[in-house]
Parts: sequence; C-alpha cells; structure tokens
Amino acid sequence: MIGPTGPLLPLAALVWPLLLGVLAALPAIRPHALRLLPLAPVPALWLAVSGVEGATRAPGLLLGVTLAADRPAALLLGLTAALWFAAAIHAQGSMAATRRPAVFSGFWCLTLAGNLGVFLAQDVVTFYVAFAAVSLSSYFLVVHEGTAPALRAGRVYIVLAIVGEVCLLVGFVIGAGAADGLMIGDIRAALPAAPPPGGAAIWLLVAGFGIKAGLMPLHVWLPLAHPAAPTPASAVLSGAIVKAGIVGLMLFLPVASDAAAVLVPLGFAAAFLAALTGLRVRAPKAILAYSTISQMGIVIALVAAATRAPGADMTQAAFYAFHHGLAKGALFLGVAVVAVAKGAWRTGALAAMGLAALSVAGAPLTGGGLAKTMAKTGLGHWEELALTLSAVTTTLVLGWFMVRLAAIPAKEPARVVCGRSAPPMSMALPAGALVLAALALPWWLWNGWSGLPPDYPLRPGTLWSALWPAAIGLAVIAAMAAARWPAGTQDEADPLRAARWSGRVLAPLRAVPARLASVRGSLAERAEASLRHGGTLLARADERAEQALSRWSISGVVVMVFILAVSAGMGLAVRN
Amino acid sequence: MTAALPVMILLSSLLVAPITFFLPERCHRWRNGLNLGGAVVKLALIAFMIAEVAQGTIYEARLQFAPGLYLLLRVDALSLLFVTLSAFLWLLTTIYAIAYLHGKPEQSRFFGFFSLCVAATTGIALSGTLISFFIFFEMLTLSTWPLVVHRQDARSIAAGRIYLTYALPASALLLVAIVWLESAVGPVEFAVPADLLLIDDTSLQIIFALFIAGLGAKAALVPLHGWLPAAMAAPAPVSALLHAVAVVKAGAFGVMRIVLDVFGLDLMDRLDLAQPLALLASLTILWGSARALNQTEVKKRLAFSTVSQVSYIVLGMALASPYALIGGLVHLVHQGLMKITLFFCAGIYDERAGIRRIDQLDGIGERMPWTSVCFSLGAIGMIGLPPTAGFVTKIHLGIGAVEADAPGVLAVLALSTLLNAAYFLPLVYRIWFLDPGEAAATGDPPTERPLALIAPAVVTGSASLAVGLLAATPFSPLGWATLIAQLDYLP
Repeated sequence: MIGPTGPLLPLAALVWPLLLGVLAALPAIRPHALRLLPLAPVPALWLAVSGVEGATRAPGLLLGVTLAADRPAALLLGLTAALWFAAAIHAQGSMAATRRPAVFSGFWCLTLAGNLGVFLAQDVVTFYVAFAAVSLSSYFLVVHEGTAPALRAGRVYIVLAIVGEVCLLVGFVIGAGAADGLMIGDIRAALPAAPPPGGAAIWLLVAGFGIKAGLMPLHVWLPLAHPAAPTPASAVLSGAIVKAGIVGLMLFLPVASDAAAVLVPLGFAAAFLAALTGLRVRAPKAILAYSTISQMGIVIALVAAATRAPGADMTQAAFYAFHHGLAKGALFLGVAVVAVAKGAWRTGALAAMGLAALSVAGAPLTGGGLAKTMAKTGLGHWEELALTLSAVTTTLVLGWFMVRLAAIPAKEPARVVCGRSAPPMSMALPAGALVLAALALPWWLWNGWSGLPPDYPLRPGTLWSALWPAAIGLAVIAAMAAARWPAGTQDEADPLRAARWSGRVLAPLRAVPARLASVRGSLAERAEASLRHGGTLLARADERAEQALSRWSISGVVVMVFILAVSAGMGLAVRN
Repeated sequence: MTAALPVMILLSSLLVAPITFFLPERCHRWRNGLNLGGAVVKLALIAFMIAEVAQGTIYEARLQFAPGLYLLLRVDALSLLFVTLSAFLWLLTTIYAIAYLHGKPEQSRFFGFFSLCVAATTGIALSGTLISFFIFFEMLTLSTWPLVVHRQDARSIAAGRIYLTYALPASALLLVAIVWLESAVGPVEFAVPADLLLIDDTSLQIIFALFIAGLGAKAALVPLHGWLPAAMAAPAPVSALLHAVAVVKAGAFGVMRIVLDVFGLDLMDRLDLAQPLALLASLTILWGSARALNQTEVKKRLAFSTVSQVSYIVLGMALASPYALIGGLVHLVHQGLMKITLFFCAGIYDERAGIRRIDQLDGIGERMPWTSVCFSLGAIGMIGLPPTAGFVTKIHLGIGAVEADAPGVLAVLALSTLLNAAYFLPLVYRIWFLDPGEAAATGDPPTERPLALIAPAVVTGSASLAVGLLAATPFSPLGWATLIAQLDYLP
C-alpha cells in the first residue's frame, strides 16, 4: 500500500507550498510570482487552527513519512504559518519591484515547506529533509538582493549551514542505529544509551541545532544574514526559521542529559552577551538580529531546563518562542513601514514598534510578560533571577533599536490617504496585525496552555517582577539617548573580523594533495624517462607490426569472424 | 527459453557491433537505427526477464568451450540489478552519443566498439562463474580502449596508454588469483558456494588481496586510480559510459561478487579481511575528494569525484552490516544515475558552450537553464543532500557504520560530505550567481539543441531525484537492494 493513510491535511500543508513553488517557475506566472506567496501557508494555518488527531503516514515517500501535529509543536506551526502569511502580504508592497521575483518566490515556497515540515515530522528522515530544505533554501532568500554584503552573508551562512547539516546527519545516524528505527521518539530515548559515540551524538545534535537557532558561539552567521535579506525574508528568518533549531532541541534533547547542564548557563550567558553586543551596532535590523540571538539563548535555556524533569514539558519554552516569533516578525516588518511613513503615520508606527519591543522585554500586561511569567514557573532560583535580569538587557538593546529606528530618514511614501501621506496598506496592516497578535494572543491562549490560574498575571507580585527590569532598562536608555551615546560604533554587524576565513580553512587542505602530487610527479618523471628509453627500441619493432595490422580490411575481418564464431558457438550450445 | 534469454540479451549488443563496423560512415540512419534498436530490444528482453524472475523462473545458460572450461550465464537478483542499470543507461547514452557525435568522423568505428563495450558489461553482469567473469572483464578492457583513444590526438593516445598500463597488469593479477583459487577448490560458481576452507587462511588472504588489486584498478581504488582522470580526454559519451555504467561499475560489481558470493560474509569475518578493505575504501573516498578540490577542469573534477564515490560501494561491502550492505548495493544504481547526469551535462557544456575549465562556467545558468538545473541536481546528489539519491545511500551507510561499531567510518562519511560540498557548491555558485566573463558574453549564445542531447540528462537527473523521493516504494532501487540483501546475503 503506497498511498497515504490518516488525515491528509498535514501532507497537504507541506505539498501545497511545493506546488506553488513549481508554479512560480512557469513562464506565464514568473513576473507575478510574488502574488502566489500569501496562498502558500493557508492549509498550514487551517491545520494549526483546527487541529487534527492521529498521524499521517505516506509509506512510499522518502524512507516512509510520518506526520502529526503534536501539542507544543502545533503552537509553533501556527506561529510559522501566521508569520509567513503576514510577511507574504508585506512582500506585495515592499518587494513589488524586486529583481527575479520567480526565483525568490520559488525558494520562498520551498523554505516555507521545510519550515512547516520540521514541526510536523515524526520520523527522523522527514525531519532531516525538512530541516535541509529550510536551511539551504533560505540561502537564496539571504542573497536575493545580490549586493556584496548579501553575497558575503550568504557565503558565511551556507558554510555554517552545511557544517550543521553534516553534524545533524552524523548525530541522527548514530541515534537511528542505536534505536534501530527512524521514529524521533525512539531515537531520543535511545541516544543516552548509545554505544561509545552516543555522547558525541548528543553534542553533534546540539551543535547542528545550535547553528540554526543562533546559540553562541555558533551564531556568527545571524547578524550578517538577517539584515542582508529583504525585509519579509528577515521577518521569517528571525521569527520562524530559527525556531526550526529550537524545535530540533525540543524533539531530540534527551531527558536528564549532560548537555542540559551546559546549555542552561550557556543560554542565559548568550542572552546577556548578545544583547550587550547589539548595543555596538547601528543598523536597526542588525540590532534586531542580536536581540534574536539573545532571546533564542533564553529559549534554549528553557528547553534544556525542561529536559531536567522526567516529563520534559516543553510548553513554556514553546509559548515563549511563539510570542517571540510574533513580536520579532512585527519588529522587522515595522522597520520597512517606518522607513516609508511620515507624520502621524510614522508616529503611529513607532508607537506600535515600541509596544512590540516592550512585549519582547516582558513588560507587565503584554503578551511577552505573560510568556516570561509562565517560563519562570519551571525554573530554579538562580535561573529565575537570570531570566528576570535578562529583561534589563533586552530592554536596553530594544530601546537602542527604537532610537536607531526613529533616526531612519523617511523616504517619500507611496500614497496619500485623508490628505496625509501613508505607507502602503499591504505593508502596514501585517505589521500592525502582528503587533496586536503578539500583545493579545498569549492572553487568549493563557488558560489552555499555561496551567496557571487565570488571575496569575494580574497579581501585584507578578506585575512588579515584570515592571522593574523594564523600568531600569528604559531609564538607562533614556540617559544614553540624552548623552548621545554610543558614538562611533560600526555600521554593519560583523562578528567575523577576518575576511575569507572559509578560504583560510580550505587553503591548507587544498595544498596537501598538491604537495604530495608534486613529489610523486617528480619520481614518476624519472621513472618514465628510463622506461621511455627502453621502450623506444621495442616501439620501433612494434610499429612495423602494427602498420600491417592496422589496415582495416585485415583486422576488421578478423574481428567479424571472431564475433560470428562466438555467436554461432553460443547459439549451438544453447540449442544443446 | 530459460537458457536462451540471457544469451539473447547478450547478443542484442554483441551482434550489433560487427554490423556497425562495416556500415559506411554516411549510412547514419541505419547505424543509429541499429544501435537504438539493439538498446530497446535489450531493455524489452530484460523487462520480460524481470517479470519472469519475479515468478520464480531461473535463467541459466551454459556454453562449453573445452572439457572443464565453460561459460556460464546465470541470472540472480544482483545480476538483474546491474544488467537493468546498464541497459537503461546504455539506451540513454546511445541517444546522447548519436546527438553528440553528429557530423564527426569515425562514427561506425565508435558505435561498433560502443556496442562491444556494453555487451561486455552485460556479460559481466550475467556471469555465473569466475572464468566467465574474467573473459568478459578482459573483453571490456579491450573494447573500451578504442573508445578512450577515439579522437586520436596526442592526449587521447596517452590516455589510452595509461589506461592499458593499469588495466592489463591488473587483469594478470586477477587471472593469477582465479587460477590459484580454482586449482585448489575447482570451478567457482557464484550460485554454488565453493568450500574455500580447503585452502589455508594465509593463502586465502593473499588471494583476496590479488582479487582486490585486480578489480581495484577498474574500480579506481587508490593507488590504482590514475587512469581515470587521464581518460577524461575521451569524448563525453565515453566518460559517461565509463564512469556510470561500464568500467568502474564493473570493478565495483566484481568486488561485490568476490566479497558476497565467492568468499561470503562469514569467511570475510573469519579472515579479518573486512577492516583492511574498509580502510582502503575510506582512504580512496578521502583522497579522491581531496584531489578533486585542486582540479581546474570540469571533467577532471568529476573524475576524482567518481574515484571517491565508487568506494562507497566497496565500503558498504566491507562494513557488511545490514544497512551498510543495502547502502553499498543501492549506490551502484544511485551513483550511476547521478554521475551520468553530471557527465552528460559536462559534455553539453563542452559541445555547446566550449566550456572545459571551471572558471568558464560563470553565469552559464542563465543561458543554458535545463542543463544547469540537471548539473545542479547531480551535484546536490553527490553531496548527499536530501531528498536525492545520494542522501539515501549516505544515511544507509551511516546507520550501517553504527551497526558495525565503526565510528571512524562515520567521521569519513562526514568529512567526505564536507569535501564534496567544498568542491561542488562553488561550481553551482558559479553557474547561477556569477556573471559571464567577457569572452563568453560576446559571440553567439549557446543553444540547448538538439533535444536528443539534453533529454538524456533531464531523464537521469529527474530519476536521481525520484529514486530519493520515492525510496520507500518497493520498486525503487532501494527496495530492490533491500530485497537482494535480505534474500541472498543476510542471515
């Protein structure tokens, strides 16, 4: 039985974007390919909202595909679908005149399919294929503009992406060998007990997922790639694609492993370090990239902390990531909106961005505050303190972002509404909707997902612990802005001082076989010279004989007679 | 019928050859028709045979030369896999070669030896004894040499000389091994395991080493691989055939027969032969990839990539755990499909755009999209990115390495993947992302015509993707390889 069994919606959610991607390549559709993009996440959105029971199996595809929408992953699936949808609508306005729309759209759809697939996959091969699709296709989103910084960012990105893929492959293979099967649950259980490379397998998986999620020190591609991509692509890169690394850790990090003991402090350290590093750059999108690294550090710490308990309840980490995706997507899209807005619209846009930033910082009564509150319940004392303190640095870096955002000169906006110049609705609406979603959706989902009483976020203790870090951060930022600090920081985020570091790695590797080959070559030359001398005499005699034979009529007849004889012989032998 | 069918399959290319030799150059319609007809007939006969074998018919043909010396053609699951691959790819290569050599001299000679080469490969696939295998193996060497020197310029003749320098001594070693073995245990048939324990262990190990040396030259195992990059002087259809279908695959197939049928996995284990073989295969994998990094010509880089990839098959045989065996078996097909795509595209680039060196590839994607997409597919498959054929092989070899308790092999696979990415991704980048150089921008744009030149590459490129996407279906190469491993070789 080769056909798929079970609910078809998960399979449709993955196949539909792929079909649209192929459609974008047709000559008739190519100039208008961007119009297809909002349609792509629709089945996935439907799936996330309606939910399906049971697993979909397609035994003929790959090595047997199994899909299901399990609880924590389903939240991130909904985030992904919603964010890609909003970004696609934004692209209608912000990328209307872009170069090569068909190529962009095709790889956009492929990346989306992969991004959705990682949340639905139940077997490791489907997961790996989806992960490869999202990692490698997003390269084309990063280099789309074709500028030198974009191409350089792409180079760094692809090298790290390939290294990550190889790490994951080795880790998965060890897990699959130990579990004697391809199901993710079995592999996760079998990993700690795997034969000698087993411990290495967990670290390889951490490395592979860490590269994707921007875990320090594997984060170096993120501040280059996220700003270099066009705005809708940056939004999905920071909002949804890094979550592929997070979900990998959620699915594969074994319960009570050594890795968790390292990841928790590492994650929190990254939260502080990345936020502080973000203060040194000036481009708004680059600052947001550092904020993403910082927030992902927190999420990774939450995931690792959750694995310390036997149940490994990932709900808090998923909820935190969910909110972050919405808010970060809103912030990225908002950068483009602010750049084309003037007057009252600009003020409104900046205000919305401010709200989203406060939400990420976990200010009281925002969606982000709810996410932080929920996250604190699963942590030990020091970790809870670290999470609370991280809100200070988050407020700092996002406050700096707001300062830089307000300093963007406004381009002439596209149209006039009610006598005032306004940004295109296709750009403003999605950004606004995402801000609203980031602020409000966590409230709506609180009862079903948090396991805490409904009035918990409104208690004075909770409100205070959310308020004071944000207040401190805001005060520091106000002081910095007043003192016109920092000055003289870099224009571009460049965590890699040395250029061509990939070339440096490969150059010695390339030199080795050349050196060996040249040694062998000189030896071979000497041998060949002596052989040649001896061979000349033989060759002359040989030539004379060959000239006789080389007349086609003789040798041709010989060949034909030989072949006919063999064929006749075989025919006779068969008859016997 | 059970005896006639293997012979008919062999004759479908063997009889085409002498007739083609004597066709005048200008009778191209007869020549093309004959060769294509032979290829189609062969494929049809094989399809019929597969249907019959699935129902349990056994095909065997025995031809007596002299008392005690006979030629045995026997069809088992493994030979069916190889003969199907070679027949399918022969048809596509014939179409490609007809279009590629159109208007060039000495086509009758070329197609004559071409048919002989495929007949030899079919014979190797269908051989049932070591002696039959050896006969067709020699026939393969002799029929491919004229193909390598076809252009008759200095480079080709030098390449032919190097080819023979490797192949003929290797054949001598192979004959020594066969004679030594058979003088002790009698004629060795693949289907009937001979009792090798009549010989002492050390002699068996030496015999195995001789076998590997003899077959390793064809299979391009380091350090016997030197002929392969030199043979790139031949026209593209020859390179495609040599690398994907005939010569290197015959060598790898021979290694399979020796390890699985002549010695058997248990004896390999007892004599501790697996580890040196795995070491040799790993060395070849890494050395081939390392040398490929240095090459500046497209076909030379592909040649070293072949050196590296064919050893995956040998590695699978050496590891011998269930997953690794399946991975090695299926890579016979997968590597054939992906490599032939790459060589078809390299030939199209050479013929239509004059591209021989890698730096000439800049920006060719815009002007030759179909070829470039196929080339990119082949490259992605070689790196082992999902969902291509190469990924299926890698994951099986990887899990097999874990099953066989060989973590070093995992490191080799990881390093090989990284190296493959390092020398294939820059090609893909150049094709799609860089602007064409000044020399290429002037002059007429290259056309992707005729269809017969481009279609084979598209077919094999799509096939290499399809066999990965649909790997779990029972009719895929993976399903077939799993069946072979489970039925014949695994306990």
